[in-house]
Amino acid sequence: MSDTIIKIQNLAKYFDGRCVLDGINLNIPQGCIYGLLGRNGAGKTTIIRILLGLDSPTRGRTSLLGADSAKLSARTHGRIGYVAEAHNLIQNYKVSRLVKLCKDLSLKWNDDFFGRLIEAFRLPMQRRVKQLSIGMRAQLNLSLAMAIDPELLILDDPTLGLDTVARRQFLELAVDLLQKDGRTILFCSHILSDVERIADRIGILAAGKLIVDCPLEELKKRVKKLRLIFPEHAPANLHMTEIVNQQLQGRELTITVANWNQQKQAFIETFKPESCTEIPMSLEDMFIECTRLKSTPITNT
Amino acid sequence: MFTLIKREIEDNIAYFAAAALFSTALVIAVTSLAYNAEELSEVALSLSIPIIVLAILGFSAMGASQMYTDKTRKISALLSTLRVTRAQILAARIVTGILTILILLVPLAVTAAVLLRLFPPPYPIYPHFVSEIFTAVFLTGFACYCLGLQLGWNSNKVIRVLGSIGSTAVIVPLIVIKGFGACTVIIMLLLIVASLTRTWQKFTSTPL
Repeated sequence: MSDTIIKIQNLAKYFDGRCVLDGINLNIPQGCIYGLLGRNGAGKTTIIRILLGLDSPTRGRTSLLGADSAKLSARTHGRIGYVAEAHNLIQNYKVSRLVKLCKDLSLKWNDDFFGRLIEAFRLPMQRRVKQLSIGMRAQLNLSLAMAIDPELLILDDPTLGLDTVARRQFLELAVDLLQKDGRTILFCSHILSDVERIADRIGILAAGKLIVDCPLEELKKRVKKLRLIFPEHAPANLHMTEIVNQQLQGRELTITVANWNQQKQAFIETFKPESCTEIPMSLEDMFIECTRLKSTPITNT
Repeated sequence: MFTLIKREIEDNIAYFAAAALFSTALVIAVTSLAYNAEELSEVALSLSIPIIVLAILGFSAMGASQMYTDKTRKISALLSTLRVTRAQILAARIVTGILTILILLVPLAVTAAVLLRLFPPPYPIYPHFVSEIFTAVFLTGFACYCLGLQLGWNSNKVIRVLGSIGSTAVIVPLIVIKGFGACTVIIMLLLIVASLTRTWQKFTSTPL
């Protein structure tokens, strides 16, 4: 678990003078399933493309499996499975031809596993890729990426276009096969329940910065949503740092606090609330709250 | 690498077929003309310019279509995530271009060599006549192909079309005026080096 598989140092990327990534630092160890989250345009796909050497950074360095992203050898590429957001498959090829091409250009190919995936997803081998539905293309792309038995699997919104059953099938297969052997997965998705189910570490991108980078459990401990009821009017301002969101309604004050700790708890008690109840938060709630948070990073290595 | 070359051949089989057909037609024409020697020079002269224009446009079109198809169908975007580097993708592409040129030229060169032995010309020719012509024609074809590669990767349609026409307009008069001598060989070599370097640099650095 100690080897760093993905390393990003001070990564910045500008598109036409617009800053998309602003000094990202990230280390993903071997065996980690890392869920990278962010709103549309946050820069998730850009990070992945730079990692794979498909795009160049404006500043900073990235490396995969110990090799500089800009100089990835064919052999290193062969150890990485990648599912692109737009499913970059050669549209005019028949599925069987595309499979053969990917097989011939792979370092390893797990025929049994690929057969199982094709059967599970019921993919028609004789149809052209452009004749497949978006969901089928996603399934084909996933199958191709997983059949090469990758040491590192990079999934950019892999379940986009999949129905609920196929999505669940994929997640189970991914976890079973890859996590068992200590494989590493970098996983971007807008379906946060999927990320919550499989990721053991979370990163959240907002305004070009990685504002969250910690284990999922740690994030749940660090971000708290509290309902405070005061004997009379609730104070309009608690004068406390790192309050991400607050709603005031008569005697009731609901606050979301980042980097929750004992000191903050003690500080809130000085206002003598009548009651203080914690409201449970899903990853989706936390994501929404965290993307409001632009200046307070929640990181833990 | 072999898989990449095979893929390029399969995807551009039309160009290979066209080169083979064109070559066969030229071999038949040259052979039948050899038996009517008095008409040879006149016919050969009248046909040579259209044949050169056709070949130049054909090789440019092949290079351009390989790169353009790659760009629009995002072929390299997929391939470069497999056990392949961009340099290998481009190298495989160039190999297929060379193979197409050879399919067109080798039968012609062999036919010319045989016919020169069967029907020795009335005036003496130097020993490396066929091989020198073959080299010059090959380099011209390859230079046109390389220009096509460079133009095909350009996203501007106007530049792609005007570039092909412009290169034809320059190369054809050059051959007509200078012939296939050392001067043409040097110019073609410079053209090849320049366009291949630019294509290589653009192809390996552009976001896919």
